[in-house]
Amino acid sequence: MNPSRTENVYLPKVAILDRVVEDIAEVRTFYWHFEDPAAQTEFKRFRPGQFAQVSLFGVGEFPASLPPSPAEPETFFTVRQVGSCTGALHRLKPHDRFAVRGPYGNGFPMEQYRGKNLVFVAGGIGLIPLRSCIVYAMNHCDHYRRIQIFHGAKTPEELMYLSSLRDWEKSGHAECHLTVDRACNGWGGHVGVVGSLFKKPGVSVPVEDTIAFVCGPPIMFRFVIRDLLAMGFEERNIVSTLERYMKCGVGKCGHCCIGTAYICVDGPVFTYEQIKKLGEDI
Amino acid sequence: MKARVLAGADVLKIVDLLRREGREVIAPFCGRGRDTYFDIVTDANRADIQIHLPNPYYPPKRFVFPHIERLLKVRGNDGQFQIEPTYEEPRRALFGIRSCDVEGIWHLDRFYLGRDFRDIYYEKHRLNLFLVNIVCTDPARDIGDECFCVCSDTGPAARDHFDLQLMDLGGGEFMAVAGTPAGEALFADPIFRMGTAAHVERRRAILGEVRRQFKTTTSWFPATVRYVSEGRIPEKTWEEIGNRCLECGGCTYVCPACTCFTVSDRRVGPNETERVRIWDSCALGGFTRMAGGFNPRRAVHDRRNRRFFRKLAYYFIQRELSMACVGCGRCAAVCHGDVGMPSVVEMLRRASADVNPNEPVKD
Ligand code: SF4
Ligand code: FES
Repeated sequence: MNPSRTENVYLPKVAILDRVVEDIAEVRTFYWHFEDPAAQTEFKRFRPGQFAQVSLFGVGEFPASLPPSPAEPETFFTVRQVGSCTGALHRLKPHDRFAVRGPYGNGFPMEQYRGKNLVFVAGGIGLIPLRSCIVYAMNHCDHYRRIQIFHGAKTPEELMYLSSLRDWEKSGHAECHLTVDRACNGWGGHVGVVGSLFKKPGVSVPVEDTIAFVCGPPIMFRFVIRDLLAMGFEERNIVSTLERYMKCGVGKCGHCCIGTAYICVDGPVFTYEQIKKLGEDI
Repeated sequence: MKARVLAGADVLKIVDLLRREGREVIAPFCGRGRDTYFDIVTDANRADIQIHLPNPYYPPKRFVFPHIERLLKVRGNDGQFQIEPTYEEPRRALFGIRSCDVEGIWHLDRFYLGRDFRDIYYEKHRLNLFLVNIVCTDPARDIGDECFCVCSDTGPAARDHFDLQLMDLGGGEFMAVAGTPAGEALFADPIFRMGTAAHVERRRAILGEVRRQFKTTTSWFPATVRYVSEGRIPEKTWEEIGNRCLECGGCTYVCPACTCFTVSDRRVGPNETERVRIWDSCALGGFTRMAGGFNPRRAVHDRRNRRFFRKLAYYFIQRELSMACVGCGRCAAVCHGDVGMPSVVEMLRRASADVNPNEPVKD
């Protein structure tokens, strides 16, 4: 048997909540740091697209994507309240403690995308797992050609990270296009599904040498994929990150396994070419 | 591998040797009726240990992967928390484990200790576990109606992955084969003596005869593996299989090679909680349900498909270099709907005979 010391991959480390920011209804961003500074330094080596397991003592653990880019000073999660664990996180106050382990998963191969155009397409809270790559791309904008962000939500109130989107747009490194399904409250922008933005006058989406990042609810995902394929995107140039009921994050509990893939270790990032072969609902 | 011969009357002395090494020895006993069980050997029950008996349903994997296992203890005081991992590190020997189950533990080794992450809880159970395998040679007592290790190529005599293997040669003699240096070390005891060519010949003859005594034979594993891996099983066959599944989860709980678990936190004191892992089953509807209710695997036949795909697809066999079915037949024995592994292999092969025009065999 392997003589090297085995680490306990199930052992989370204590984290302290710094502050909470309200994003949209039921979605908040939780800024936190590890109690142990060494753990913080080690954790900051994560790659865009990876995730972490968040523990609420006595309640349980849930997987959360990592929206910050590794270069950002603060670590945070953006979490929608859906179940008991996320609910318990939402009830925490600044200085309360919880625990985190990770980072896990493959992440997006951002280095491999050097020299390409990046198109981010996000529906609703699908922007959360893509935020890390966007910030990474903005920080390395000389590595990439055009950067475009297409973001849609049901209503203007449900658009994610609005102020960040404005900052990115202002920086001049990215084009941001927003849309909503239903306009209200004086929304003067585009109305329609995310895919309709691709054909909006004045928008041109490069297809050659382009990587499309797609994240969002299942219906949005299917339609956007259809649009991208029709525009001539190759299946291997469309990437996404999958969500599953992950109990362990380290390829052992079996909950995240689809087809031949364990989402937690072989993913969560897959190309559409791979996703198609997994053979299950997304 | 070195082999020795010993007298049948001395076989239980191996248990004594292991106990003297300071090990807790677990051995098979006969309950009432067909019921058999593994239990800790004490001075009081030592004489009741059975060599020939039907393999119990409850698989010995619980000695490396307990059905409920505590992972962590968390103590909280004034908003501060201490997280303490809790380990069990028994020094144990399993005496009388059947060949199929030896292979099952080998599969768990490959799974929990291989790949990207090693499972430290499993490792601590496994490191000091000594396996004494007994070859199934008595068709009436050892070999169950559902045993099909001849088809999964895991028995009735394991080829490897045990520390010591014992086989009844009849005539009051047993053959012992050492699979590891630890097993070989036992041969220093005077109960073991050198065997002869005649002993080896007897072993061969007995195994040849025993292999003919199996009632369940499905020689279609390789073909089924191919059909499943290539996605050539019609959806309607999975539906038929799914319709027969009562979703009790029994097959996964008795399986010596199933690995899935769920994790749960529970309160154990005013300021204390613990995190446990519990065997889980892909047969159950909630297995893939996510927070918020979305369940990507809804229909029961999706879940049956999932289980057999996980066990039979090339990809996983290659990944672990061992198949997650070891031919013990327990799933077949407990399944109310008769969709245990042997019948499923049979159903899959018939179904593929229907759709593949070049399939020569159909009856
Ligand atoms: S499957 Fe084979 S090794 Fe296992 S109990 Fe039956 S005969 Fe013995
Ligand atoms: S989350 Fe446990 S195996 Fe992937």
